[in-house]
Amino acid sequence: MKQMAAPPRQRRGTGSTSQYRHAVVKGHAGKRGMVLLIITTMAFSVFAVRLIDLQVVKGPDLAEQALSQRLRTTAIPAMRGSILDTKGAPLATTVEARNVTADQTLVTDPVAVGAALAPILGVEASVLATRLTGTRRYMFVAKDLSPETWKQIDALRLPGIFSEPTLRRIYPGGSLAANVVGFVGADGKGLGGIEYGMQDLLAGTSGSTTYERGPGGRVITTGEMTRSSAVHGSDVQLTIDRDIQLIAQRQIARQVESARADSGTVIVMDPRSGHILAMATAPTFDANTAATSPDAVRGNRALSDIYEPGSTSKVMTMAAIVDQGAANAGSAFTIPSTLKRGGKVFHDDVAHGTWHLTLAGILAKSSNLGTILASERIGGRKLYSYLKAFGIGEPTGIKFPGESSGSVPERSDWSPTTFPTLAFGQGLSVNSVQAASVFATIANDGLRVQPTLVQGIVNPDGTVTPAAAPKVTQVVKPSTAKQIRLMLESVVGKHGTAPKAAIPGYRVGGKTGTAQYVDPRCGCYNGQVVASFIGMAPADNPQLVVAVSLINPRNGRFGGQIAAPVFKRVMTYALQARQIPPTGKRAPRLLLTAG
Amino acid sequence: MSMFPATGSTDTRLLPSRRGGDYWRDLDWVLLAAALAATIFGSMLVWSASRADLASPSDPQSYLKKHLINVVLGLVLGFIASRIDYRWLRAYTPIIYAISVFSLLLVFIPNLGTKIAGARAWIQLPGGFTIQPSEFVKVAVILMMAVILAEKDRADEEPRSKDVLLSLGVAVLPLLIILVQNDTGSVLILGSVALAIIAVSGARNTWVIGLLVGAAVSILLAIQLGLLKQYQVDRLTSFLNPTADAGSIAYNSNQARIAIGGGGLLGYGIFNGPQTQGGFVPVNESDFIFTVAGEEFGFVGAGLLIVLMGIVLWRAIMIAMRADDMYGRLVATGIVAWLAFQTFENIGMTLGIMPITGVPLPFVSAGGTSMMAVWIAIGLLENVRLHSQQQLP
Repeated sequence: MKQMAAPPRQRRGTGSTSQYRHAVVKGHAGKRGMVLLIITTMAFSVFAVRLIDLQVVKGPDLAEQALSQRLRTTAIPAMRGSILDTKGAPLATTVEARNVTADQTLVTDPVAVGAALAPILGVEASVLATRLTGTRRYMFVAKDLSPETWKQIDALRLPGIFSEPTLRRIYPGGSLAANVVGFVGADGKGLGGIEYGMQDLLAGTSGSTTYERGPGGRVITTGEMTRSSAVHGSDVQLTIDRDIQLIAQRQIARQVESARADSGTVIVMDPRSGHILAMATAPTFDANTAATSPDAVRGNRALSDIYEPGSTSKVMTMAAIVDQGAANAGSAFTIPSTLKRGGKVFHDDVAHGTWHLTLAGILAKSSNLGTILASERIGGRKLYSYLKAFGIGEPTGIKFPGESSGSVPERSDWSPTTFPTLAFGQGLSVNSVQAASVFATIANDGLRVQPTLVQGIVNPDGTVTPAAAPKVTQVVKPSTAKQIRLMLESVVGKHGTAPKAAIPGYRVGGKTGTAQYVDPRCGCYNGQVVASFIGMAPADNPQLVVAVSLINPRNGRFGGQIAAPVFKRVMTYALQARQIPPTGKRAPRLLLTAG
Repeated sequence: MSMFPATGSTDTRLLPSRRGGDYWRDLDWVLLAAALAATIFGSMLVWSASRADLASPSDPQSYLKKHLINVVLGLVLGFIASRIDYRWLRAYTPIIYAISVFSLLLVFIPNLGTKIAGARAWIQLPGGFTIQPSEFVKVAVILMMAVILAEKDRADEEPRSKDVLLSLGVAVLPLLIILVQNDTGSVLILGSVALAIIAVSGARNTWVIGLLVGAAVSILLAIQLGLLKQYQVDRLTSFLNPTADAGSIAYNSNQARIAIGGGGLLGYGIFNGPQTQGGFVPVNESDFIFTVAGEEFGFVGAGLLIVLMGIVLWRAIMIAMRADDMYGRLVATGIVAWLAFQTFENIGMTLGIMPITGVPLPFVSAGGTSMMAVWIAIGLLENVRLHSQQQLP
């Protein structure tokens, strides 16, 4: 190594023994080696500059670009809250389900795989084979399968077939309370009923996971990962009693069919709490297959359809008269065969000579003329204020989507015939719940409790938030209510209009209605009617109110004939279901005729 | 018989007596250390790049293990290459050359040859190993050209035109075969090796300039006449217009730049480079391994790699310049041209300043044949150095 100190070139130059070696050192060969060294140095300098450019100057930008390429956010769906009946039985609930997907590039034999899946999915093999053929990496094969079905498919170990967890809304009762509960769309959002009206509460807030993933979708385990968990939706507990609802639905469906009516509704209400125990509509639909049902059957007619109440409205007129002390049940009235008011001649439903009836008799026979005469003792202004107090023309307070409040004409809009017409139940409109609520007020000693459909909210943490206390107003005096109830019992008696509503052993009070129905197609009276019966039991200590209405029946016409039997069957069942015993007393006989 | 001048008379008296030197003392330790450091660094990068997607799921080190076997084989071959006697080497060079060129043809045998990334350049071996004959051909061509051009009666004269043409033929024959295999990168490397050796052999300027012009013309002709396939042209030109087609060719170079840029000054740390671990950069265990250094070790790591390669080339150039005989000088020069061009090309394409051709980064990339070939090159460089050292009085 001692020679290494001196540069080889000089050493060779001085001590060379060989012309060969000498030659190697000289000439352009050596110069060209230098050129190589310079080129190399320059090239590496270019690399260094480029590296600084990429990593220091553009570094942050490129890192950002890289991150956005890797970050993927997926939503964690929030579990939608259930809709429960008053006892906690589910009317709508969400279950875990599976979507089956395929990576078409991994399916080697679409025909064979399709044939294997066909019997499990109940889809034709050729249809499946088409879904499995191609180059798409992600394709739906079937949606919303039960976990059990997926297990069957998974056991086949088919190449390229995968599944992803999803949530599925199911309605265990099918059509049970479907018009109240509503339904969801394909995206799982409420489209009708409570599902729609309480969407935000039911839906909760979905969470998300943000993670880094490679171009093949593989999660980069060393990457960043953030997670915000989903807040599940709340359960909504309704006042609906599943059992009573079922009977109400069956009975009204049967009657709508046999009376060949357009539609019908039944409301069952607890007058003391204002709770609606059943709200049935016919025809109805299966909420599980809502998409295939027409709009007309998916709404909640009990709240959305309004009609002129007709004779059932006379209860309000009578209550106002009695409450004002203008007459009592026994007050006598002389009723002519026709009555001219405001230039118009009014008739009763049945042609008659001069009648001598008590106030109770007027109600029992549902005399329009008698009601007009009696109401004239208090006047239009008073009647109007009572109608408003009973909740006519006001929202029910249920806040149901698509609800119609009905109306009563403003005093300033009245014509000379408005007052007599209003007295016997025409010229104003109500929905079924409003009509039921009038009877519930009479049943509850004149104390009106705002109707309630939602009993409470079960929060995701299990705590229960009860619904706000209903608005309560004293509409008529308790004594008035009591007297009206006695009068209503006469209606169900053998001289009244609805003996078919009587329930053996129980005291029952109620009122029939057979109102002309405004044909929605022409906006005119067309011979169509709304046949209704609203009643309560036990009449001396009412605990239940049932309101039945049938729109445009073609087979049968009068409320006492076609609505009263439905009332009787639903009320009978409800009394048993609620374990309400008969009061054991007999109804006192009211005088119906005077003189 | 100038084709086989294996035991040329001029040199015999100048051959070193090995007894006079000390092998271990006279080795170029700087060169060895730099090459070894690059190899170790490279193994870490290969490990990081392969454990997520190339290694078997049960053993994230499986690919690394295979790589380390190749490294050990390379070191052994390098050691042998450093100890081979010049006389022996020159005598057997034609045979080595013939075998190498023949093995190039084996690639065309259907069940033996394998196509990777569009290039039919590999021979399949049992046990999942592959051999890329073109890597060995680089060594063989260098040795063969050196033998031909160093055979001169009078050393201070320029090589005869006959010898220049012959040596050129030695390079062009395998070059054409490789061209058919679509291995564009190796073609360019062989071309630059031939050019460098002829230039340093002392051939006239007209030769050097003529070859440069000839190379440029033939590249242009190849493109013009459609001899290059469209994807080859795309690769070669994509760096000029990196955003042209985000889906295909430009994707690679774009992803490479994103990964390197994301590394910043210090990098994410080994196994933590998200673009690397996510598998965004294609073939990042081999051709694009520089991106792993850039992302996981940052500017510091990538810079270190460039410095290491720089040291290797600097020492190699010094060995070439100080070689005391034409044969050794030409061998060293050929190796310098090879390693330098391959390094420029590899790092350059990764940084988006050179066209994309699939060549591995010497010492660093995974790939058994390449690893063995570059360590044979180091062995030969050491051999040339020892020859020069030990001959001194």
